Amino acid sequence: MRDGYNIAKRGMPVVSLITEDFWGQGTFVAKSLGMPDIPRVKLPHPVAGLGEIKIAAIANSVVETILDSFENE
Amino acid sequence: MSDFLEAENEERALEQLHEMDCTDGLPVVIPTSDRVVKFILASGLDGDMVLGELGPAMGIATVEKVAVAAVMAGCKSDYMPLVIAAVKAAAEPAFDLSELQATTHCTAPLIIVNGPARHNCGPVASGYGALGPGHRANASIGRALRLCLINIGGGRPGVSDMAIHGHPGKFSYCLAEAEEESPFPPLHVSLGFDTSDSVVTLLGCEAPHSVIYSDDADDPEDAEKLLHILSVGLANLATNNAIFASGTVLVCLGPKHASALARADHTRESIQERLWQLTHAPKTEHMKYGGEFGKAFRDDPEGTYPRIPTPKNILVMVAGGIGLYSMVMPNWGGAANANSAVSVKVESEFFCAIPGLG
Repeated sequence: MRDGYNIAKRGMPVVSLITEDFWGQGTFVAKSLGMPDIPRVKLPHPVAGLGEIKIAAIANSVVETILDSFENE
Repeated sequence: MSDFLEAENEERALEQLHEMDCTDGLPVVIPTSDRVVKFILASGLDGDMVLGELGPAMGIATVEKVAVAAVMAGCKSDYMPLVIAAVKAAAEPAFDLSELQATTHCTAPLIIVNGPARHNCGPVASGYGALGPGHRANASIGRALRLCLINIGGGRPGVSDMAIHGHPGKFSYCLAEAEEESPFPPLHVSLGFDTSDSVVTLLGCEAPHSVIYSDDADDPEDAEKLLHILSVGLANLATNNAIFASGTVLVCLGPKHASALARADHTRESIQERLWQLTHAPKTEHMKYGGEFGKAFRDDPEGTYPRIPTPKNILVMVAGGIGLYSMVMPNWGGAANANSAVSVKVESEFFCAIPGLG
């Protein structure tokens, strides 16, 4: 979320990818940094170490949502 | 001024604070206006004086808010200069508090106290069981900082503090250096402060790992064997430091081990240098066990790498009782400043004793 904030601060479009366990933390940090509406997309938790096939499946499941988020910015 | 909460009695007030997630899960002393005002007066500072900003909530730490935490933690007013110094250290940008609070690693800020304030603002224990129960200053000063990190910094488990397990030092983690037992200059003097200064050094680190070594004055290799054993505990392949090749770690030498090293003419600097050398390890080991991080040396797999960046990233202090044990504290090694230690001078000249106030 902090990376998303830093990119947004530079005026660039951004979508933060947050896993479901970190969703609350993402919201908390976004509010604390004064950008409560930074676009974000929820991923399953965890994503690290799942292997390429499962990661690709997750990517396929969220890619449209990510693109939609960019279009709405 | 802070807002006031109301409750019909202290028992209800305690439940209210628990329900609002304002505690560490243990009972606290209720921070009544009277108690907090006395702690502010004792600090000799204005209540609205800003000490810094604490993340990830980016809350403003004022003297008053810190006094609230100190009262809740069970501090004596004498401890205020140390609590204030610890909060100022946590608020230093170099400490990367927001990231430190948010990481999945278990890191907790360890407060190391040096100089006359060990006695004047304590006593802060540095001997037997200094990191364990039974020492009011150690227990409550560390706890006061934690309550600041919760209530000003907004670090709450599973919401903004994402430590996978945490560790017991997240309740309280504070000790003094046993300067009188140490054969080396005090830690703060090695860090550039004057002997007469009082200094709080804050390091986010793991729980202490015990290191046993049965030293032998007749063994010419005694010091080298001890340093080898310390290096094994300090940066074994399971630590973040070994995997990230970054961070600042702490070696807390028991006085007996410190004497064994001094007997071999070691200084703090030569200990740091030798431990740094001994914590170099084959890159192939990192590649095999480092998982995703193991790709770091993919293009240059020959030789060794330093698991700790430089000798100065190995802090060496002396504390504990007399025996066969030392402690090592690896750390996280993440964020912009790679989980550095931050030292802040304790300002106690404004402190004033309040009659009738413990």
